[in-house]
Amino acid sequence: MKHIIIIISSILFSTLFYNQQIGLNISIFSVLTVIILAVSNTHKFKNKTTLLYIFIYLLTAALVFIQYTNLSILANIIAFLTLIGSVTESKSSIYVQWYNGIYTSIVGYFHRKFIKQNIKDEDETQKKAIDILHITKLIGIPLIFIIGFIVLYKNGNPIFNDIISKINFDFINLQWLLFTVLGYYLFSNIFNPVQVDSATNIDLQTGNTLRKSETFSIEALKKEKQLGTILLLLLNILIVFYLATDIISLSTINSTHASVLSSQVHSGIYTLIASIIIAIIIILYFFRGDLNFFKDNRILKNLSYTWIFLNAVLVILIATKNYNYIASFGLTYKRIGVNIYLFLTLIGLITTLLKVSKVKNFWFLMRINTRIAFGFLILFSIIDWDYSITKYNINHAPLLDLNYLINLSDNNAVLLNEYRESTNLNTEQNNRIFTKHLDYIKTVNNRNWQEYTYSNLKLKVTAKKTISNAYSR
Amino acid sequence: MHILGNIGKSSLLAASIFWIIILSDTFNWDMVPYIFISLIPIYVICALTILITICPIFWFLENDNYNKQRIFKTYFPIYTTLMFSLCAYSIYKISTDIVVLSFFISAYITTVQSWVWFTKEKVEIK
Repeated sequence: MKHIIIIISSILFSTLFYNQQIGLNISIFSVLTVIILAVSNTHKFKNKTTLLYIFIYLLTAALVFIQYTNLSILANIIAFLTLIGSVTESKSSIYVQWYNGIYTSIVGYFHRKFIKQNIKDEDETQKKAIDILHITKLIGIPLIFIIGFIVLYKNGNPIFNDIISKINFDFINLQWLLFTVLGYYLFSNIFNPVQVDSATNIDLQTGNTLRKSETFSIEALKKEKQLGTILLLLLNILIVFYLATDIISLSTINSTHASVLSSQVHSGIYTLIASIIIAIIIILYFFRGDLNFFKDNRILKNLSYTWIFLNAVLVILIATKNYNYIASFGLTYKRIGVNIYLFLTLIGLITTLLKVSKVKNFWFLMRINTRIAFGFLILFSIIDWDYSITKYNINHAPLLDLNYLINLSDNNAVLLNEYRESTNLNTEQNNRIFTKHLDYIKTVNNRNWQEYTYSNLKLKVTAKKTISNAYSR
Repeated sequence: MHILGNIGKSSLLAASIFWIIILSDTFNWDMVPYIFISLIPIYVICALTILITICPIFWFLENDNYNKQRIFKTYFPIYTTLMFSLCAYSIYKISTDIVVLSFFISAYITTVQSWVWFTKEKVEIK
C-alpha cells in the first residue's frame, strides 16, 4: 500500500515539475504532501501545532499561486521543512524542526534503512541480502557482457554495426523516469519523517529557565557584578552622548540629496548592527548564570534595561532617517530591508529584556527569536513587494526612479503599462515598459497548466472584458 | 571494517548513478568503452572520499562503549547535511551541466549508502 501511494505520488511529481516552471504545481504538490503525511502519520495530525503548520504550509502554497514571488517560494520551502519537522516531533524548537525537516527530506530513506536493519533478525537480513545480490548479478553481469561484446562485434562487421546504430531508444524518456525516481526518493523520505535523535533529545531536555548552580563563589560574583556595572554604566553614558549628537544632526541637516540621506541611514545601520550585537553579547555574558540569582544585582539589571532602552531609541532614530529617505525618494528593496531589520532588532531587544527580567537562558532567546522570524517570513510573503513598491512610488514618490521599477520582476508589468498609457514618458522608457508588458503577456499565455498562477486568471478576465467591450461598441 | 568491499560496492554504485544520469541525456554506442575506463578514476575518487571522510570517524570513535550504531545515529546526520550542502553548493557554483550534476548526485548517494554499508557489517547492539 505504502509503495503504491509513493509510486502514484512520484508519477504526479514528474507530471507537475518535469520541465515546468513554478506555479500551480507547487500548490498541488503541497496538498499531495499533506495527504501523504496524513495517510502515514494520522495520529500526529491531531496535534494543534502540526495543524497550525499545515495551515501555514497550505497558505504559503496558495501565496505562490497568487503572488508568484521569490519570497513566497522561500516561505513555502521553509514551511514545508517546518511541517515535516513538526510531524517528527511537535514539541521541539522550531530550529530543531527545520533540522529534522531537512534531514528527513534529504536522507530519510537511508536512515529508515539503518533502523530496519537493526530491528530485523540477522537471518532474515542475510536472506534478503542474498536475494538482492543474486538478482543484481542476474541482471548486471549479462548486461555488462552483452554491451561489451556488442561494442566488439560492431567493429568487426559493418552490417551488424549498421543494425546496432539504428537502434533508437528515443521513445523512452529516461530523464522523465529519473525525475520520477527523484520524486519517489523525496516522497519515501517524507512518508515516515525521521529525527536527528541527538539534537532532538537535547532540545527536549533543555528548558527555558536558568537554574542556580549548586556551588558558586560569592566573591567571584561580586567581582563580576562590579565589572558589569562599570562597563554598562560607561556604555550607557557613551550611547546617550551618541544619541544626543545624532538628534542634533537629524534636526540641523535638512538635505534632500539622496547621497546625504543614504549615507546617514547606512552609517546608522552599521552602527546599530555593531551596537546591538555587542549589547546582546554583553548582556548574555553577564546574565549567563549565577549573577541572575545574586541578591545585589539590581543596579546591573537596571543598567542593562537602560542600555536596551537606549538601543531601542537608536532604532527609532534610524527608522526616522529611513522614513525621510523613503518620503523623498520612494521605496526600494534596500529601504524596506532596513525597516524590516530595524523592526526585527527592536523585537530582539525586547526578547533580551524578557530574558533578563524573567531569568531565562540563551535557548529561550533562540527559540522565541527563530519563531518570530518564521512568523514574519510568512507575514512578509503575503505582500507582493514588486507591485507594492511600484504602486507606492508612482502615487507618492516625489522623484520617480522609473528605471528601477522597470528592472523589477514582471509582477508590476500591468501597473507600469497603465502608468505608461496615462503619462507622457520619454521614448526609451516608453519602449522598455511596452516590451516588458508584452513579454509578460507572452510568458503568461505560453504557460502550461502546471505553471499557471493567479495572473493567468486575471489576464483571462481582462481579455474577456476587452472582447465584450469590443462587441458592445 | 570491510573497507575494500565497501569501496568496491561504492564504486560500482557511483559509476552506475553517474552513467545512468549522463546516458539519460545523450546515448551513443561509442561511449561504452569510456564507461568501463571510467571505473578506474571513479574507484580512486570513491576510495579517497571513503578513506578520508568516513573511515576516520569509525577508526577514532568506535570502542566498546560506542558502537557503530551509536556512531551512525550521532554523526550520520551531521555528515549527510554537510555533504548535501557541499554538493548542492558545488552544483550551484560550478554549473548545472549534466556531467557536474551526475558527479555530485552520485557522490552524495554513494557516500550516504557507504555509511549504511559500514554500519550494516556487524549487528551487535550493546
